[in-house]
Amino acid sequence: MTTEQTPPRDKSWSWASFGLTAVLVLLTAIAGLILLPSLQTNASYSSLWDAICSAAGVLRPSASQPSIEPTFKVSQVVLTSGMLRNPSQESIGRGATLGQRCAICHGPSGISRADSPNLAGQYASVIYKELLDFRSGARVNSVMSPFAEPLSDQDIVDLAAYYSYLPRLPGYHPTMQTPAPRIVINGAPMRGIASCGSCHGGLANKAGSPWLEQQPEPYILSQLRAFASGDRHNDIGQQMRNIARQMTSDEMAEVARYYASQPLGSSTQ
Amino acid sequence: MNNRQLILAHFWLAFGLFAVALVLGAWQMLIRSPLLSWIPDPEWYYRSVTAHGTVMAYVFPTLVAMGFGYAISQVALNQALIGVRWAWLGLALVAIGAVTAVIPVALGRASVLYTFYPPLIGNAFYYIGVVLVVVGSWVWVALLSVNLGIWKRKHADEPVPFAMFANVAGAYLWAWTSVGAALELLFQIIPAAVGLTSTIDAGLSRVFFSWTLHAIVYFWLIPTYIAYYTIFPRAIGGRLYSDTMGRIAFILFLIVAMPIGIHHVFEDPQVGAGFKFIHSTFTALVTLPTLLTVFTICASAEIAGRLRGGRGPLGWISALPWRNPIMLAVALSFVMLGFGGAGGIINMSYQLNSSIHNTQWITGHFHLIFGGAIVIMYFAIAYDLWPHLTARALASERLMRLQLWLWFIGMMVTTFPWHYVGILGMPRRMAYYDYSNPALAPEALSVILSGFGGLILLAAGLLFVFILIRGHRGPATVVDEYRFSTALHPPVALPAALNGFALWLALMIGLTVTNYGFPIAALLTRTGIAVPAVYVGSQP
Amino acid sequence: MTTQDERPDRHVAEHAEHRWASLSILIVVLLTGLAAGAGIHYAVMPQARVETVDPATAPIAGEFVESNLGSVVEPDGSVTVRALGQRYSFTPSCIVVPTNTPLTIRATSADVIHGILIEGTNVNTMLVPGYISVITAQFATPGEHLMPCQEFCSIGHEGMWGKVKVIDKPSFMALASKTKRVSCVEQ
Repeated sequence: MTTEQTPPRDKSWSWASFGLTAVLVLLTAIAGLILLPSLQTNASYSSLWDAICSAAGVLRPSASQPSIEPTFKVSQVVLTSGMLRNPSQESIGRGATLGQRCAICHGPSGISRADSPNLAGQYASVIYKELLDFRSGARVNSVMSPFAEPLSDQDIVDLAAYYSYLPRLPGYHPTMQTPAPRIVINGAPMRGIASCGSCHGGLANKAGSPWLEQQPEPYILSQLRAFASGDRHNDIGQQMRNIARQMTSDEMAEVARYYASQPLGSSTQ
Repeated sequence: MNNRQLILAHFWLAFGLFAVALVLGAWQMLIRSPLLSWIPDPEWYYRSVTAHGTVMAYVFPTLVAMGFGYAISQVALNQALIGVRWAWLGLALVAIGAVTAVIPVALGRASVLYTFYPPLIGNAFYYIGVVLVVVGSWVWVALLSVNLGIWKRKHADEPVPFAMFANVAGAYLWAWTSVGAALELLFQIIPAAVGLTSTIDAGLSRVFFSWTLHAIVYFWLIPTYIAYYTIFPRAIGGRLYSDTMGRIAFILFLIVAMPIGIHHVFEDPQVGAGFKFIHSTFTALVTLPTLLTVFTICASAEIAGRLRGGRGPLGWISALPWRNPIMLAVALSFVMLGFGGAGGIINMSYQLNSSIHNTQWITGHFHLIFGGAIVIMYFAIAYDLWPHLTARALASERLMRLQLWLWFIGMMVTTFPWHYVGILGMPRRMAYYDYSNPALAPEALSVILSGFGGLILLAAGLLFVFILIRGHRGPATVVDEYRFSTALHPPVALPAALNGFALWLALMIGLTVTNYGFPIAALLTRTGIAVPAVYVGSQP
Repeated sequence: MTTQDERPDRHVAEHAEHRWASLSILIVVLLTGLAAGAGIHYAVMPQARVETVDPATAPIAGEFVESNLGSVVEPDGSVTVRALGQRYSFTPSCIVVPTNTPLTIRATSADVIHGILIEGTNVNTMLVPGYISVITAQFATPGEHLMPCQEFCSIGHEGMWGKVKVIDKPSFMALASKTKRVSCVEQ
């Protein structure tokens, strides 16, 4: 603090401020980077230098321990948001040709007449993932596995391009007749279930989560049951198994009925 | 007051957007409370939170600081604003930026919250809008610097008027602080949003953002503190106890507000424990300027109290002009500052923070300190300036006092139960909660109380806007020239350190290097940690 | 311009300010010391190391493959809990831990930023994709705790609630003897 009698001492301000700041920086650095880490008993540092580097944030891989491998084949597919968008026309054309093989069960235009899932308008990431999983054995089905086995990576991308290019089946939910099940609209938070639409496209699409509207009721039901029992296990990180295990069979029936809902006389019947 | 239209334009854009965001905020409080049934589309809630946060954090306080800043420059320096056209350009950038950002949010294309949360990536125009707002504010920083520079050339060796000193300190603080988020937006998020890259380093983003995230609250706080020092003593007929201590307080903010942001990533795995401790300690330091301010302002109030005939150790308090809205605002602000500051001290320690990180305590805390202590002074600033901007008298002091009380009561009713449910562990940012679960049922009543508090705040905010609108229609009046408070011992000659910023800017940048340099460098040099961007908001 | 008369006045003011500033600095030093002291002797400290992991392949192979998640007893008697966070659930969705045993929770995110908060405790951390979060804890009494995700992870965030069951040590050890990775997920 200056008074009017003494001349301003600029240099002393600079020295004092820099000095004080430097001391503070040094003290806190010593405390944070050297003192506190070395006093930590449970961190198992190999040396003081290890402690200092770890406290500074230098990468330190921990001793790798053997992991328990899964007893079944885990899905190897890596999905990223926005992948497989904007396929080329050639890819779609090739996919259409390949799709003729699929028409027996999945219908000539991707809309099945049986209980196999409708593929028309399905997200490309979903077709891509499921075919890869069928091919690798992460997902097993007596009908699909032989069909998927001879497909090449490019074939799978093309099929995904073709089916995603077809018009998507819209949801049909006249609210007057039946209100939407609470578990679909709001999920069941305490059981760790988010609303279906937050992944399955009603609100947002998480890559790899299929569009469910107008899928056959028996198919949705069988898949939910398969996830709940663990028979189907190609959901990355158990995300669908976490949900299906917590659903009651009434809820599964409600959900299947909800999504399978379609207008009378629609092409899927 | 020169350039009244310019300053009024800033305030009207600020308060208009504030009112809209307030409506959203009240709705948010209610929709996630037990009072209303669960929203069928949770995305609406996150959309609202994004809009509310973006306006309240990036647009509203920036415009208030800018408008008030231009007024301070003209009044304190007794010099009409130089570069008025640039000032209008700056305002236009902020306005265009705000619109550009809010449109994608309103359409549901950018529900990423105002803290961005990469690897979640929304529509590019949201981020571009925010960048434009920041660039507009940089124009303001440059103008204040230029105006001060011109004044200093004309008045070499004279003490810079205190209000302008604090004003420019705040502007420089903002300029440096905004660099963090600007780096994150320009080099990481926008490239991912427009498709130039498809991966992003989420850990680095969070560290860049933490650079901005704490010091931005000091940018918000500085107009409030300027009002404490320069408007309050004058308004109550007193003197500013110490000009020097005031300058030191703002200098401390300039240096120490910045290098403490890592306390926002205490729980993050990408930063070393040592730097978390360093930032924690420096955060403790930033309580110092507030402690100094509280003393100086209370002492200044005591001067006014005794000048009005107050006797005895506490008698001066009742002698204060309590009917004066500015007096009331400062007192209420100090109460909220006390509680909010105590909460901040809790957050500053890693150990206590672990209990309440990302719970509703955090939301309660920053609404109390920012929405409460700081924004109530924005109201006071507007009330103080309004007659000088409109050349009309503000009608009713009683209405202003009512509005201030409503805001205070609303804020206490909203935030105190909010802090409590945070202690109970209620997590943040969920569109609905299952209050029927026995573990969550104890939270229900508090959440309802907070919801009612939100409605009180909405009423108080709308009343504020009403008072200002009426202020335009009041009887024309001749106002005295606007002036700031006088210090008890006005400085005649100051050392360069208390009259300029070179030393402090050097320290601010130096501390940023020591406190952020290694963590950022470590993140930049790490390879293979960019993670896939997750695009949200596009049509499924 | 000041005169000689004002000097005592000014000194009084300055003296008061100095005293208050010293008191304030003392308060700040005390607070910091308390925090540091508590950190060393009593309470939790930030995680000791920075470790990275590739989030895209984390669920496929390595430490966070699904069969390796859950609670495991280490040779030194402590228990390590491994968990994965993703939109919008934790795996294992029900974590079981014993009382009175040092725990190390290792978790990461498979996609975006999540958080882990064990309600009723101060076990509270962020899951940042690309990094492994490590937290140590010890439970004294058995019980059930909700474990919400406390960070916005996009639209299904409000549905992301896990569970932690704390059971007495003998019961836990009985479970651990039957399976290598323990959890309370019902099959």
